[in-house]
Amino acid sequence: MNNIIITIDNLKVYFYTNQRCNKAVNGVSFKIKKGRTLCLVGESGCGKSTIALSIMRLLPELSRIEEGKIIYHSDEGDIRIDQLKKNGKKMRSIRGSNIAMIFQDPMIALNPVYTIGFQIIENIRYHTNMTKKEAKQKATELLKDMEIPLPEQRINEYPHQYSGGMRQRAMIAMAMSCNPKVLIADEPTTALDVTVQAQIFELMKKLKEERETSIILITHDMGVVAELADDVIVMYMGNIVESGTLEEIFKSPAHPYTKALLKSIPVLGRGKNQKIEPIRGRTPDPFKRPKGCQFNPRCDYCTDKCFKMPDDFEITDTHSVRCWHYKKVLENE
Amino acid sequence: MISYTIRRILVLIPTLLIITFLVFLGLELTPGDAVSYMVSPDALANISQESLEQLRDSLGLNDPFIVRYFKWIREVLKGDFGYSLSSGVPISEIVFDRLPATLELSIAALLISTFLGSILGIVSALKKGSVVDNILTFFGMIGVSIPQFFFGLVAILIFSLRLGWLPVGGRLLPGHKAFLDTLPYLVLPSLVLGLTMTAGVMRYARGSMLDALNKEYVRTARSKGLPEWRVKLIHGLRVALSPIIVLIGFRLPMLIGGSVVIEQIFQWPGIGREFVAAVRFQNTPLVMMIALLFVLAMLISSILIDLFIAMLDPRIRLE
Amino acid sequence: MENLKKTKLDKKMDIIKKKEEAGLLVNKSQNRALRRFLNNRLAVIGLIIFTIILLATIFAPIICKYSPQRIDMLNRLLPPSSEHIFGTDKIGRDVFARILYGGRVSIFVGVGSALGAAIIGVLIGSYAGYKGGLIDKIFMRISEIMMSFPQIVLVLLIVSIVGQSLWNLIVIFILTGWGSIYRMTRAKILSIREEEYVLALKAFGLNDIIICYKHMLPNALGPVLINITLSTAMFILQEAALSFLGLGVPLNISTWGNILNVAQDISVLRENWWIWLPTGSVISIFVLSVNFIGDGLRDSLDPTQQG
Repeated sequence: MNNIIITIDNLKVYFYTNQRCNKAVNGVSFKIKKGRTLCLVGESGCGKSTIALSIMRLLPELSRIEEGKIIYHSDEGDIRIDQLKKNGKKMRSIRGSNIAMIFQDPMIALNPVYTIGFQIIENIRYHTNMTKKEAKQKATELLKDMEIPLPEQRINEYPHQYSGGMRQRAMIAMAMSCNPKVLIADEPTTALDVTVQAQIFELMKKLKEERETSIILITHDMGVVAELADDVIVMYMGNIVESGTLEEIFKSPAHPYTKALLKSIPVLGRGKNQKIEPIRGRTPDPFKRPKGCQFNPRCDYCTDKCFKMPDDFEITDTHSVRCWHYKKVLENE
Repeated sequence: MISYTIRRILVLIPTLLIITFLVFLGLELTPGDAVSYMVSPDALANISQESLEQLRDSLGLNDPFIVRYFKWIREVLKGDFGYSLSSGVPISEIVFDRLPATLELSIAALLISTFLGSILGIVSALKKGSVVDNILTFFGMIGVSIPQFFFGLVAILIFSLRLGWLPVGGRLLPGHKAFLDTLPYLVLPSLVLGLTMTAGVMRYARGSMLDALNKEYVRTARSKGLPEWRVKLIHGLRVALSPIIVLIGFRLPMLIGGSVVIEQIFQWPGIGREFVAAVRFQNTPLVMMIALLFVLAMLISSILIDLFIAMLDPRIRLE
Repeated sequence: MENLKKTKLDKKMDIIKKKEEAGLLVNKSQNRALRRFLNNRLAVIGLIIFTIILLATIFAPIICKYSPQRIDMLNRLLPPSSEHIFGTDKIGRDVFARILYGGRVSIFVGVGSALGAAIIGVLIGSYAGYKGGLIDKIFMRISEIMMSFPQIVLVLLIVSIVGQSLWNLIVIFILTGWGSIYRMTRAKILSIREEEYVLALKAFGLNDIIICYKHMLPNALGPVLINITLSTAMFILQEAALSFLGLGVPLNISTWGNILNVAQDISVLRENWWIWLPTGSVISIFVLSVNFIGDGLRDSLDPTQQG
């Protein structure tokens, strides 16, 4: 148990917008290990961001955690995050200092009327006892760590004066300012250029190695997964369909969806004649879901059995899959 | 900041030129001889025909249109606005005589509506969905639906005529000069004008605050574990302030328009009442000059508002 | 207190969840905007009140047996009675009749000016916004100048030059009012202009006018509809204020504002409340209903609303 920092057990999160009930996350269980990067991968709307927001208790007003447990294994013992008061003192002391989050578009995620320094220092002073001066120094060091040039000057500048990549670094600096055990990154590079993406990845790898931070990286891009992941969880329509180490998922995918995902992206090095096959069919309307396994209308291995939601099968002690026909999938390549 | 200010003022100049041109055009449309409003009626009293011609020449009335336009601008800048057709009094005198009263009323109403409106609107937004919010929103709706003058009439009926608490109209009894003496007269008109504008300000402030609270960076602030009050006020409100201040700029035309009607009902001796009278009697020179003044007031205040916003929003300031 | 509130929201969510799981909500996706509007109680109340008053003015001859112009000096200044629901005015005219018939004119001025301003604003705004260039700059400058005047000042200014009449007033309202719709349409068109489907249409060689009016405009109509509603409210209030001052619709045509004109006299204000108080209340209620409808439209057409 010692190397697990967060346990998610049968988490269900429902959204109640427009007078409807959307079961965005419908029974998800996994564990986050210390010092490793976990990638949550899946299409838009599969529920991955929702899980992240649930851990941080930042869900929007018209949604709630229906069932399940989110357990944070802190130094002082296990804390049931799902049972804490959303903006209560305990949760707030965890947020930002033990578990931190960075968001997709730093241009809109950072407040435009306050300097970067102000926003980082704010985080530091709220979770530690540092004086203003000490905090400012720490903030400047952080900017330097994140490889932002001229940190003493930059610290007094506003977000719009930074470039896109620098802004994301600044946001990472802000999130890392209290040395969190877990960093949640929600599609951190989607809004950035590809070359800047590479830089941010290098930065995140460095963070993981130097500070032993666990990283939960949310993405829809398998290329990002290949680059950064230690462990992978593949999600579809609110359920985990497969989870395993990077090698297991890429070398021996056991779920038809995972396989189809891997086939649908170009891989650097395979040359221009590689076959790219889009996944047939479309993501179903969350209000008109298929019966049983959510992937069955688009699945090549679909049989009658698939109208009942598959159990979770363990292939190895790190690799599990939610499919009746996983053995066939594994055989087929 | 200074360069921004200068740029803002420069941008206004073409607009100002066109407006003054239109005003001058309007003056030209005044039926009758232009001399009648350019020269004091005393001077015209017993004048002979040749002297009249000489006068017209010296005033440049036989010059081409453009020349007269620029001469007129020069006169206006010197403070000579011509003479009122109905009373023969110099317009500048009329205007400056009445200005303090209108300013008093406008500033009082502006203060009331700004503070009351902003605070109530922000509170409404912070407590969205609560009983307080619903009541305030409802009153806001009523406030923007009642005709301002009707509200004024009802107020007079209740507070002046039936209860006798406040005077019915006018500003000062002759002989009284102190501000405290004006106060009872100021209460009703400024409250009527102020409260009706409060409704609009309140609705807008609520919307602006709700918008700000929905922004991503508010969520980021929350993700840092900051207490709710800090998230909403320091991160949310601070950014909501800019639109609210812009709103004040947009309220200015309502303030001027409102004062026109309110001054009429309460017999408040201000520029608005003069304006209405001038329109009634087709006293075109007076109408035009007062209109010009109103426009000037609006343009100046729009610059001031823009400056204020630039101070609050570093994105604009540092361009 | 906070926990109690959570349970209330929780209960609502539970109800929705049960309905969803029972399959009751499946067909509700159609026409979200309409559904949302009808769900908004205030908007529906507004619609009902608006319709009642509108119909009352249209069917005035059936509802009220008096002609609004019938002078009856023997029965002047009578307080409300069973004969005259709102009493009579200074020259014996039935106040209720005047309110009903006057409503026709006031509503006509309000709605007519709003529609007129909208049509002009939309036509110019969409074409100028789409084409850009000199036309756009000219109209921007024109609207900027007109918006530098407080509206009532501009209206009074023009009235003093061209004189008072019903049609003059409507034209003046349209002239002073087209600016805001113009700007709004222009802004919307500008944002749509760069979108791909417009570029595609252009690549197909489609005529500019057709692109502009047939393809881009429908997307901008939502806010325009809201603006028309709220402008109607504004114009009705303005007509009332102007007529009250005696500078709006000429006094021989009765409108709501004109009826209130006599309230400038203190004695009428004090002694003959039935002449002006009901009229002002009717204006307020009518404008309130229009505002409810406008707000309802705004809420239901706004894509970011969570409901």
